[in-house]
Amino acid sequence: MYEKTQGEYIIVVDKINKTFPNGVRALRDFSIKVRKREVLVVIGPSGSGKSTFLRCLNGLEEIDSGSIVIDGIPLDQRKENRLEIRKEVGMVFQSFNLFPHLTVLENVNLAQMLVRKKSKKEATETSMELLHKVGIPEKARTFPNHLSGGQQQRVAIARALAMKPKVMLFDEATSALDPEMIGEVLEVMKSLAKEGMTMVVVSHEMGFAREVSDRVVFMEDGAIVEEGTAEQVFGNPKQERTRLFLSQIL
Amino acid sequence: MKENTYTSSAKMTPFRKPSPVVDIGLFLLVVAGLSVLMFRGTKTLGYNWQWYQIPRYILSLEQGKLVAGPLIKGLMVTFQITGVSLVLSFCFGLLTAIMRLSASFAARGIARVYLELVRNTPLLVQLFFIYFVLGPIMGIGRFTCAVLALSLFEGAYASEIFRAGIVSIHFGQWEAAHSLGLSKLQTYRYIILPQAIRRILPALTSQAVSLIKDSALVSTIAVYDLTMRGQEIVAETYLAFEVWFTVAAIYLAVTVTLSVIINMMESKLKVVS
Repeated sequence: MYEKTQGEYIIVVDKINKTFPNGVRALRDFSIKVRKREVLVVIGPSGSGKSTFLRCLNGLEEIDSGSIVIDGIPLDQRKENRLEIRKEVGMVFQSFNLFPHLTVLENVNLAQMLVRKKSKKEATETSMELLHKVGIPEKARTFPNHLSGGQQQRVAIARALAMKPKVMLFDEATSALDPEMIGEVLEVMKSLAKEGMTMVVVSHEMGFAREVSDRVVFMEDGAIVEEGTAEQVFGNPKQERTRLFLSQIL
Repeated sequence: MKENTYTSSAKMTPFRKPSPVVDIGLFLLVVAGLSVLMFRGTKTLGYNWQWYQIPRYILSLEQGKLVAGPLIKGLMVTFQITGVSLVLSFCFGLLTAIMRLSASFAARGIARVYLELVRNTPLLVQLFFIYFVLGPIMGIGRFTCAVLALSLFEGAYASEIFRAGIVSIHFGQWEAAHSLGLSKLQTYRYIILPQAIRRILPALTSQAVSLIKDSALVSTIAVYDLTMRGQEIVAETYLAFEVWFTVAAIYLAVTVTLSVIINMMESKLKVVS
């Protein structure tokens, strides 16, 4: 824990603002810093801006003002910077978003070959290693629609890891899963956290947060309301709004 | 990949199938009715059918060798024109679709002007415009004019099909590709189009069938396609009924064959998502 709280910052977000075309202000002067190897869990009611924050980190959403710097690279208008950040930041979505016309192996191989310019053989080696890691090497030749939700999400994690990202973003990765499949995905996420991956996780999985997170942030209306360790935020929230929210989700 | 494909549309509806006896009986009744009408119609016409004249216009035996008749030669020209136009029209269509979905105002504008211009004027007028106006200016021959007119016309329609296919792909696919670092071009090439084309294959097939049929119009600028050859024979022999029936049957054979081939391809390609 000492190492993690002392390490250098890999994500530096400074006063970002984001207003959607429909007038909704998703982020208000939002600032946060994440250290290398840190696992940050973001919680908050729907519409609080937590997903928007995550999507801004890899350029899926454009910010209106403020700055985002990831591993020393500013996420600005320069194309090469944006591409570099997209390569270094992996993302796992609520709805998996696997490519249905490709096999599991091809899903994991594709970006390695197209973006990292690896040969098919090299890519396949990495992919199989990762599929072993997420526990489904036997499904390599299967198409995604023949897998359960939990398996699909594990493939999605392997696919993101194949790019050797420095940061992993999880956007409600277990929210679309049947209850009995949440565990297998969380296990993969936990082992990743223990290996020292820097992770920003939007999730209401308290068990996960308590077990592996270094910090929990409670967001509302596009700003941070409260932050602290999982014990502090879940066990003894200081803010009334945090308390109210936690009482609703428990 | 194969188990989940629907090969018969009958399986997709929850309704009960009608009894096969009633079903087939109804079909035979309609066919019989139509045949009787046709037979009586031609009788009252008092037309002297001369079908025996037709085969030599298709194939003839000269000195022990089979020689293609004018209709087959015309069909070959139709094949050439539609083949080239088909490839070109899909290129125009894809390009226009991507331009219409692009973030650039200029690209969207150009695509829109092309689309509206082509879709809101008759193909025959476009053909004449290209042949009589652009042809002399740019010094292009009538075959090229025919191909250009057809592919520009069908391309406009194909672009709407492509666009529908592209926007039907869930935006999550774009986001996943984006987060993996794929470029826009790579996303189109490896993620979006392979899925979109599977979905729009039936619509593209009917577009190809339209193209084959519309190619008959090139006979108006004296391209010796199947229709032009038919016209020629009718002018010579006055066998209007037999010749046009034959020409129609040849078009039908070609388009039905095409549909069947693509249908087979489709069931091979299909992935349920």
